[in-house]
Amino acid sequence: MLNRRNLVTYSIAFLFILALNFLMPRMMPGDPLSAIYGDEVLVAMAPEFKAHLVESFALDEPMWRQFGAYILALFQGDMGYSYYYNASVFSVIIGSLPWTLLVVGSSLVLSTLIGIALGIESGWRRGSRTDRTMLAGLMSLNGFPDFFLGLVLLLVFGVLMGIFPLAGALTPYSGLSGFSLVVDVMKHMALPVTALTLAHLAGVYLLTRNTMITVLKAPFMLTARAKGLSQRRLKYHHAGRNSMLPVLTVTGIWLGRLVTGALFVELVFAYPGVGYLTYQALLTRDYPLIQGIFLIVAIAVLIANFAVDLLYPKLDPRVSYAH
Amino acid sequence: MHISLKKEIERSNAGRVGLSLLLLVIAAAVLAPLLSSYDPGQQSVGSLLSPSGSHWLGTNHVGQDIWSQLLYGARTSLMVGFGVGIISLLLGILFGVSAALIGGLYDKIVMRVVDAFIVIPMVVVVILVAAYIKPDLPVLILLLAALSWQGGARVIRAQTLSLKESGHINASRMFGAGRFYVAWRHVLPDIVTILLVEFIYGVRRAVFMEAGLAFLGIGDPMLVSWGMMMRDAMSFSYLDVWQWWLVPAGVALSLTIIGLTFVSHAAEAALDPRLRGAEVA
Repeated sequence: MLNRRNLVTYSIAFLFILALNFLMPRMMPGDPLSAIYGDEVLVAMAPEFKAHLVESFALDEPMWRQFGAYILALFQGDMGYSYYYNASVFSVIIGSLPWTLLVVGSSLVLSTLIGIALGIESGWRRGSRTDRTMLAGLMSLNGFPDFFLGLVLLLVFGVLMGIFPLAGALTPYSGLSGFSLVVDVMKHMALPVTALTLAHLAGVYLLTRNTMITVLKAPFMLTARAKGLSQRRLKYHHAGRNSMLPVLTVTGIWLGRLVTGALFVELVFAYPGVGYLTYQALLTRDYPLIQGIFLIVAIAVLIANFAVDLLYPKLDPRVSYAH
Repeated sequence: MHISLKKEIERSNAGRVGLSLLLLVIAAAVLAPLLSSYDPGQQSVGSLLSPSGSHWLGTNHVGQDIWSQLLYGARTSLMVGFGVGIISLLLGILFGVSAALIGGLYDKIVMRVVDAFIVIPMVVVVILVAAYIKPDLPVLILLLAALSWQGGARVIRAQTLSLKESGHINASRMFGAGRFYVAWRHVLPDIVTILLVEFIYGVRRAVFMEAGLAFLGIGDPMLVSWGMMMRDAMSFSYLDVWQWWLVPAGVALSLTIIGLTFVSHAAEAALDPRLRGAEVA
């Protein structure tokens, strides 16, 4: 359901992101071009090209005209030019985006499924030994930063045991295709996905477990029990299904955390996604690229949140009645 | 009835473990000069030395003592964590309480801004801003605090709204209790647990963010930080040094975050009676 409240929220978020991206380089002391492109690049730039840039950014005009030019360029898909990669920012980011989507998507699915399953079991057996062990274990796991988990996995399974590759997303120059290519990709993504999944499992688990505990006390559970339904049916169909809903509401926020988690984990495994690109861009002070990554990641997370907000009432009719 | 927070936290296993871990880290930070004989920035004789009697955890790639870096790293983590925690809590109280009490358009505006910030991924904002302004410690604390008060404000607003309407506050007002007496005796004890939980959330997020940013190479390079130690150590992972360089820094960071998680979990259980009792008691 598209209500006004949501629209206002997302508009504010969207405007904030655009404004931040626009203002950051222009607020810096000195020549705005040097802040937009970085000093190193500017020295090497031909004067004609500089003039062309000043004109295209409308840098010699008042702020609001500059903002207009900036928005216009964005809508034309022009996010600037990366001098380090010698390509447009957009194409550089698009090139690394699939890898991040692959890793983030896999860990989103895995952590949600495993988290819900563990949460249902744990909540059902609340207070038992199994529950307490799982709770303590997963809460401790929650304390390990994703990049440290990644480093530990890398050292144990990559360096010491040599089971998994140490870096990259593909074996370079292997000329693999078909099934062996798929295996190669899976082998490379196994450790990053595991690190992200482990680090983000606990959130889903805790939420499901808490809801499960609340749902188990609901009157309809008593009714279901009184009808003589089997334990299995009670646990999964009645309690379990209802415990999954809150997980869905936070999926958007979760996705945001996974994406930022991926930024760190990719660096550990030199995985060629957006995270590793960010790291490279920071190292080489490739400001247009940093800006482009910020814009794409932030807006992607916004869209994901928005989609969840739209989808949620369809899955839980109670929410749409409430409006 | 008001819950005794101290008792609730001390009663639960998670709370006790968490508090002990935190005390350990705080002790390391406070006693750092006593526990190590080296300045963390001082470059000594040899680089990448193995652990020995004089360098308990060996030395890093530029010959700094890793043990003392580990201790001083606790200072950075805690300073950022508690600094951000306190400032964002104050901002959360300011906006949460004022939105609840003033209401109307002001409330609407504050809440929409709060919601907007909750969907914006904070890490990428920090990365962008930090790439330009290269923050030192105080600026980093302010930056993180500016981006992390929103969740707390929402919770504090909800709590203030429900307290405003609740019976025991009306009753005590009727019996002639003054505003400050009510605030001190009835409102504060009810809200303090929520404030603590929000505060710990803030601290935890900030500790994590500081380490993550240092790991990415953003932040003050002169500052000793666990994240930076891990970043430096990562480039030498083909040598054995990770055992006494990378792992201790990562474990220290993880134990700090686990300690915070456990304490907040215990406080949260105290807050929600449904979760109380049969909990990890």
